[in-house]
Parts: sequence; C-alpha cells; structure tokens
Amino acid sequence: MLDIQVPAFLEPAMNTFRYAPLAIQLAMIFIVIAATGTLLAYFSILRSRYLGYRRDKRLSYLLPKVDNLIIEEVLTNPEVTETSYSDQLILNTEGFQELPMHKKWVREAITGRIMHFRRNVRGNMGQMLRSLYMQLDLDKDTMKKMKSGKWEKKVQALTEFINMDMSISDVTILPLTNSRNRELRAAARHAYIKLSKNEPFKFFDVVTEPLLMWDQVELFRIISSTEDIAIPNFARWITYSSNKSVVSFCLKLIVHYNQLPAVPAVIKLLDTKDHYLRANAINCLGKLRVPDVEEKLVSLYSSQPLHCQIEILKALGRISSGRYIDFLKQEFLHSTDFDLRKSAAKSLVKNEWIASQVLRELIDTANPENLRILKHCMNPLIKY
Amino acid sequence: MSKILLVEDDEIMPKIVARILPASEYELHHVSNGKEAFEKLDSTNYGYDLIITDIMMPYANGFEILSKVKNRERPIPVIIVSNAGNEDMIMEGFKLGADDFLKKPIIPAELLIRVKRLLMKNK
Amino acid sequence: MDTLRKFFEGGVFIYGSTMLLMYAVLAYMSYRGIRKFRRKSSFTNYDQLLDSPLTPGISVIAPAFNEGVTIIMNVRSLLTLNYTRFEVIIVNDGSTDDTLEKLINEFALVQVDFAYNERIKTQPVRRIFKSINTAYDKLMVIDKVNGKSKADASNAGINAAAFDYFLCTDVDCIIEKDTLLRMIKPFMDEEHMKTKEVGEPCPECGYVHVVEDSRRVIATGATLRIANSCEVDEGVIVRVRPPEKLLPRFQEMEYIRAYVLGKMGWSMMNSVPNVSGGLGLFDKEVAIKAGGYDHKSFAEDMDIVTRMCAFMIDNELKYAVRYIPTTQCWTEGPPNMKIFSRQRTRWGRGLGEIMTIHRKILFNPRYKKLGLVIMPYNLFFEFLAPIIEFAGILYYIFLIITNQVNWEYALILLLFVYLYSVMITTLAVCWDQLTYGYYKTWREVIALALMAFFEPLVYHPLIVFFALRGYWFFLIGKKSAWGNMQRQGFGKKKVNS
Repeated sequence: MLDIQVPAFLEPAMNTFRYAPLAIQLAMIFIVIAATGTLLAYFSILRSRYLGYRRDKRLSYLLPKVDNLIIEEVLTNPEVTETSYSDQLILNTEGFQELPMHKKWVREAITGRIMHFRRNVRGNMGQMLRSLYMQLDLDKDTMKKMKSGKWEKKVQALTEFINMDMSISDVTILPLTNSRNRELRAAARHAYIKLSKNEPFKFFDVVTEPLLMWDQVELFRIISSTEDIAIPNFARWITYSSNKSVVSFCLKLIVHYNQLPAVPAVIKLLDTKDHYLRANAINCLGKLRVPDVEEKLVSLYSSQPLHCQIEILKALGRISSGRYIDFLKQEFLHSTDFDLRKSAAKSLVKNEWIASQVLRELIDTANPENLRILKHCMNPLIKY
Repeated sequence: MSKILLVEDDEIMPKIVARILPASEYELHHVSNGKEAFEKLDSTNYGYDLIITDIMMPYANGFEILSKVKNRERPIPVIIVSNAGNEDMIMEGFKLGADDFLKKPIIPAELLIRVKRLLMKNK
Repeated sequence: MDTLRKFFEGGVFIYGSTMLLMYAVLAYMSYRGIRKFRRKSSFTNYDQLLDSPLTPGISVIAPAFNEGVTIIMNVRSLLTLNYTRFEVIIVNDGSTDDTLEKLINEFALVQVDFAYNERIKTQPVRRIFKSINTAYDKLMVIDKVNGKSKADASNAGINAAAFDYFLCTDVDCIIEKDTLLRMIKPFMDEEHMKTKEVGEPCPECGYVHVVEDSRRVIATGATLRIANSCEVDEGVIVRVRPPEKLLPRFQEMEYIRAYVLGKMGWSMMNSVPNVSGGLGLFDKEVAIKAGGYDHKSFAEDMDIVTRMCAFMIDNELKYAVRYIPTTQCWTEGPPNMKIFSRQRTRWGRGLGEIMTIHRKILFNPRYKKLGLVIMPYNLFFEFLAPIIEFAGILYYIFLIITNQVNWEYALILLLFVYLYSVMITTLAVCWDQLTYGYYKTWREVIALALMAFFEPLVYHPLIVFFALRGYWFFLIGKKSAWGNMQRQGFGKKKVNS
C-alpha cells in the first residue's frame, strides 16, 4: 500500500495496519492524530503560560517606571495649572527615551497607560497626556494598526483615536463605516461622530440596519461626553428616518438634552403603527414633562396595547399636572391588570401634591390587594 | 495638615490624587477596597478630616462607607469620585449625605477646589 | 444470531463514530468562538455600561435555605457586584435556622407592604423586607414557606423582580464582580428592531400589528468552576486554584470540558442546550410566559431553558441562547463520594425526566434545531450514552467468555478511544487557558490536564454508574428520599455539554 521506509520498531504496527479491516485502520490513524493533538495542546498550554508569565514580569518592571515618568512629566508640570493650555507645549520626554522604546510592546504598554490616565483625568492634564502621546510618536503606531489587515486591530486603533481625541481624515474613516464587519462598522461610526469636524451626525441619515443596544450605549456615551460637539435638533430623524432604531435612539437623546422644540415631532410619532416605538415616544414625552400632551395620551389610552397603556400611566405621573387624577383613580380601581393598577397607583402618588385627599380616601376604601399596591407605591424604601 | 482617606480600587487614581493634593498641606492615606477602608477607619477611630471614595469596590461599596461615616456623631465630609455616573447613583449618594460628587475623568483643579472648600467649611 | 451481532456491532460503530465526530466539531466550533471572543474583548469597554442611562436593569435572584453561616458574607458579595441598575433578591425558603434573623439584623431590614404579583404560582410568601439604610436599598429579602425545591423559591423571586432581566444563582456560589456587565452584553448584541407588519388591521385597536422580526436573546450562561481549593476572603475569590482532592479535581476538569468546549461550541451553532442553575441570566418576560421553573423537576435549569425555547418556537419568534467562555461563578463541588453520588444520581434522574416531559419536541421538525439537534443529541449522547456503554461492556464480557475476541484489534480500538478522549479533554483545558490564564502556575494547569489520563479509568465509570442509578430511580418512580437535599448546596448545578 504505502511504500515509505519505516523504522524497524514500527514494522509490526505497519503489518497489522496492512491486514486490518478499515475500522481498525481508521482507529490506528486516529491514534496517531490523537497523540499528536494532545502533545500540541500541551505545548500550546505551556507556551501560553510562558508568554503570559513573561508579559507579566516585563510589565511589572516597566509600568511603575512609566507611571513615574508620566507623573513627573505631566502631572507635576507647572503648566498644568495654567488656565489656558497650548498644544504646542514641548514636554520633556528624555526619561522615556531611556526605556526600550524601539520595542513594540513597550510602546503599546505606554499607550495603554496614557489611555488609563486619561480615563481618570481630563482638563489640562488630559490635554498634556495627549501631547505626550503625540510627542512620543505613539500615534504612528496607532495609524499603523489602522492600516492592518485585521479588523480587530483597526477597531483597537479607532478606540485609541477616540480616547486620545485625535482627528482623523474623513477619507480614512468613511470607507470603514460601510465595512462588512459589524464591529468595525460600529467603531468607525463612533469615531466619525467623535472626531469628524463636519456633520458628525451624517450617518444617522444613511444607516439602514438596526443600531444594536450595545452600539446605542456606546454612541450615547460618545455623544454626551464630547464637549465641543454641535447638538442638532433630533426631531429631524424622528420625522424623516425610516430606521426604527435610529428613531428610538433619538428619542433617548431628546430626553437627555431636554429638547423641547422636538416635541411636535414626537407627538406626531404617536400615530406610528409600531407599538414599541409608540411606547418609546410616550415615554419620551413623559420624561420631557410636556403637560399639553396629557389630553392626547388619555384619549389614546383605551385603544392601546398593555405596554403603551403602562407608559401612558407613567407619563401622567411624570408630568404630574394634577389634571388627570380622576382618570388615574378610575384605572386604579377598575383595571383588571395588576401592572396597570400598580402604575396608576404610582402615578397617583407622584401627583400627591394635589391628590393627597384622593389617596387618603383610596386607602380607607380599597380592597386588600389594592391597599397593598398603594402602600407599596407610597413606601419610600421601595424604588420600583 | 489635613488628613484625607482615599478609597479607590483603580491603581492609577491614587497616584494622580497624590499629585493634585500637595503633600505639604494634605496627609493622604490610600486603601483599595471597602474592607480595608473600615479597618483603617476603625484603627484610627475615624480620625480623618475628609474621605474621597469610589462607589463600586469589592467587600463594601462607597455607599456603605458613606452611611457608616455619616451616622456618627461627628460626620466626616465625603466626596464621591466615580466612573459610574448615572443619575440614580448620584441621587442615592446625596441622599446618604455625600458632600460632593465628581465624575471620572476628573479635572484636577476642580478636585482641589472642592477639597479646600469642604475642609474650610468643616473647620 | 450472527446477523444480530453484525447489527449490534454496526450500530455501536456508527454511534461511536458519530459521538467522536460531534466532539471534534464542538472542539473546532468552540475554538472559533473563543478566538472571536478574544478579539472582541481586546477592545470592548464594559465599564461604559456603568454610567449609561440606557443600561438594562437586572434582578439578581438567590434562594437561601439554612445558609445562616455564610449568608451575610454572600449577600455582601452580591451587593458589591460591578453594576449600577440592579437589585438583589434573597429568597429565604422557610429556613429553620437563623438565616432570616441574621439578614434582618445585619442589613437593618423592615417588613414592607409589597405589591407582590404572583404570576407564577409558588408556596405562599409570608413577608417581604427592605432595608431602612439607603446603602442597602438594592437588597430585598423574601420570606416564604418552604417549597422543597430551588425552583419554587426562584419563582417567588421572579414574581417580585422589578427588572426585565434576572440572574439566577445560588447563595453559596461566588460570583465574579464583572459578571453582570459581561453577561448582559450578549442580550444587547443581537440584531433587533427589524419590524414586520402582519395581517389585517386589528379589529380592536385599528392598527396593523407589528411583529419584531428579530432574534431575541432569551438566556446567557457562563463557565462555572469548582471553588473547593480557591482562597476566598469574605465572599471574594482572591486566588484561583484547581481542587487539591482528586474527586473535585475531576469535576473541575469535567466542568471545563462541558462549558468551555461543549457549550461554547453549541453557542456558535446557536443551539445551547442548557444554562446552568448555578448562574444564568434570563429574559424575564419569556421566562414567565413559559411558566417559570418547574418545582417538581429534578433538572429545573435544563427544563426552563427547553421550555423557553419551545415557547419562542411555538410563537414563531426567533431566539438565541448565548454563552460566554470566561468563568464567572465558582461553586462548591461535592467533596466526597456520598454527596457526589447523590448529585449525579439526581442529574441522571433529571435527564430521564427531561426526555419524557419534552418528548413531543424530540424529532419534531417544527422545533427545528431544538427538535432535530439539541434534543436528539441529549437523547443519544447524554441520556443513552451510559446505557449503551454499559451494554457494550456486557457484550464485551460475553465475547471474552465465549472466546471470540481478537485481542490485537480490541486493544487498538481501546487505545484509540482512550487517546481520543484524552485529546478532547486536553484541548478543553487548552481553550480555557486561551480564554484567560486561570491559576497561578503552569504546574497547576498541567496537574489539572493530567487528570485526563485517569478520567476514563477512574472517574468516568463512576459517572456511568450513578447515571444508571438515577435512571433506575426514575423508572421505578422512587419518591425523592432526599427530601430537601437539593437545598443543601450541592447537587443543583447541572453540567452537560
């Protein structure tokens, strides 16, 4: 069968192999494969342990030095307390040059450390950390990562740029915002919003696939933490975007920025066929405390599915105008659904400034279950 | 000399705070979790002029430290410095009697001013 | 006689090769999964969930029965989890010791009138407590009549939960502090909000109903490990170490294989069969609609996942069960043979139960992967494996007695199966190390990996025996002679790949 020269000690095994049935032959092949696989696994375990050990040891030597240098150079720099700070300030990086900066892992560790510092301080110190990053030419490494063929490297680079507040040209980012890799696409969009000088919110117009919850959290953080970003009126996307997740995300931004001019657009959204979106719109109106919409919400109430009804009741509590006490009372007393009664009771309690009489009445007359709900809502120890 | 206790589980933050608050004016002690904080407070009989604490830490969180410190006869002023900054948490902190709330990343000058102001107020 | 023998041998051959092939596929898929996970973690910033107003809330539910010795420490450790929007619900399941008193004293609890909505039927809830100290306002304690099962207690917790997601755990489990941050991520990562309008306008509301045509993550699991030799300081793990005693160490190895290789592999194929009762994050709405935990079940964790999946399919909703490879939870493994045998017998019994209760799903094409992959896999390679193995040994003995064995070939086959199983287990340990370098020294890792060589000879026969015993009890319908044993801290976390 096979005409390869085999060592003498394998001769019996080869003989057996030649005359064995197929199943046994397969088993023999797999014995070799399994033994090799096991050995490789052991090798790989030991290798990863060794690499990990070496990394830890190197870092435990390097990081304290880096920390000290950063503190010496940046944190103790007299310019730090100046009210105006200029990007042109030349930092003394001599100390760093004594470290083996030609090694990539050293530069990476320093970048990581500077980012860590920047997560803890901003202001002039943050600016100076950024200057340090640039004056040590670490941005070149990040740029190199940007050009890497691996998507995770690109994402890492984008995260570094975002953290360091480095502007990148639109030409570099825009192609990535349409990448086929979801993670990379998302990261590129976040970077675009944070770093693009013109029209940071442009991609809201064009994005067709849903923004995942995770992306929304990330976007929200970036938008709300970027200091010099021009916040547009988000009503624009509420009205025109056909992407439901963009609309629902904009509702959250409207609440965050308390954008009252967007209210008409949000009210219009109440006509949407989508229950979830409508519930989000009601939620938004409630949080904006728009008293004028109460009437509309109450008139819609009876035709809504449960979760929208709950949102309406909650909104009445948040707006707390005191005009719909009777309605809330009705719902509390006569609704069959437990959650509706609880939400109604909660909103009544939120209207306490005017409804205290009604609440007392209800406490005196309610059946045991309703009484429990009322007491639950009035108890300051219970939050939800 | 004011004695300040810093409770913080991040490794870099203490170094930064140590720089912001000059050693000539402030005696800064650092512990890295809730358990150590309580041990430190107990062993010094709560002998601090100010506590700067994070919220989320192992063993006991910042709120517990806050509630213990504030329920004493002579409460110590507390500044919360945290990267968790949603509204609920801030409210909860103030409800428990926190004197100030700073969100990471902090502005060094701001921390210094607030520390000074609190110490003045409680002189 | 000869045809019967041929048939039997052919059957065993096909069965064996399928099983080995399955393991190879799982190992490969889990490797891909872990690689992807590693790439993502190289840039994922979990901390941003801490200050976002968009972070979903999580209710952590932990039933406790006579845990007086450790309860304070464990609750403390749950209260210091790294997360902002969460509550901790401790369900005191009619403890006969001082569990409740200790909680009341330590956390300044008072009884409150709580609007408890019994959406899942449980034993009566007596009282609900909250703390008057704002520092503990995340804590809620439910005192209920003992329901003789973890399931019943968990259900009470679900009824009282305020948030949309709940994490089910045990009071005696030690949970890593970033667990909530890591486990909620898969829920937030799934594509959603693609809407589909279906049918005519609804006569009641006049709107065309909109269905979410998206995949909803209904549960997430993570790796569990054995805590026996870890150094624990007031509910916080300070040093991870493989168990020193042999029995728990075998279990640690088995857990790593079942979770890191098994479930991670299944997760990549979107067919996770089970989320452990020791640690699982669930979508509350779906869990309630599926009926909550079954308090009569011996494998309530596997049962609820199966029912939640079936519920989603019955309602034509797309779903996913996810799994993350990092270890988030450490649990005390049975330290001696007596408790171990009880635990495994119970698991065997639970598996038998699952197979009968959900038999309508088995081989039912309507249930797609659940009916055609997961359940058949469970039937053949989890449930039937001990039976077939046992039958195989009997047959072998028969062959030996009648002197029909070709010893040379028999030894080759044995060696093959042995080495293959060693390889799979070693790979599992290797993948686990790639996820994160658990343990402090390489010696500890190797000492664990070497157990793979003894497992087929020592540990595996035990498992087969206990499983068969469990099936037997299941068959004769032996009343649970152990009464409350499931509340003794052991025997409630289910592992199977």
